Amino acid sequence: MSDAPRISAPPPLVALAAWIIPGGGYWMIRQRNRGTGIGVSIIVLFLLGILIGGIRVVEAPPAISQILQRPWFIGQFLVGPLGLIAAWISNGLGTTAAYADVISHSRINEIGTLYTAVAGMLNLMAIIDASFRAGQGKEV
Amino acid sequence: MIATLAEHAPLFIRPLPVWNVWWLLMLPLCIGVAIVYKSIKCHSMKSVPREATVIAIWIILGMVAAAAALAGLMHFIDR
Repeated sequence: MSDAPRISAPPPLVALAAWIIPGGGYWMIRQRNRGTGIGVSIIVLFLLGILIGGIRVVEAPPAISQILQRPWFIGQFLVGPLGLIAAWISNGLGTTAAYADVISHSRINEIGTLYTAVAGMLNLMAIIDASFRAGQGKEV
Repeated sequence: MIATLAEHAPLFIRPLPVWNVWWLLMLPLCIGVAIVYKSIKCHSMKSVPREATVIAIWIILGMVAAAAALAGLMHFIDR
């Protein structure tokens, strides 16, 4: 029998925690170093994307049925509430007179979008891995 | 409220003026991807810094090689 400590967190709860706070799923299964490294990296990548391209690179579609018009938002959504808050601020700024025209173009917009979407895709990997480890019931 | 917020954090509202060095922005992305990938894959977190450094270098070398190959192809097509 393995000496690894038993971990009782249910995988769906671990997945939810990993979505709410990147790296949070690993904290639930007591792999705190792993969670901190992954969480900090994902959040830094997301913030770097916003820093490079401006917050308007996070673009939520007007309706969920129009998600395929802005598929990169799927990646941005996967970062968690941070992505949703950024989208809310971005959409709010788009309606103000002072900031409606403040938007990046060309390569800078693409690079900012890439950073934010890749951060979300990496968080999806972390969500799946943390849930899998929780499902194993021991440290893997 | 959002406009007030924007006035206090202009750095994240306006895009960075990095048009001339956009290719340098590849480096933080490669490093971030390498750290997350190796943090997931490695059994022990102690080996992550070394493994992530190695794979980040490989990713950058691979992208440089791909860029050189594409540039060569375009040069050949344009001739």
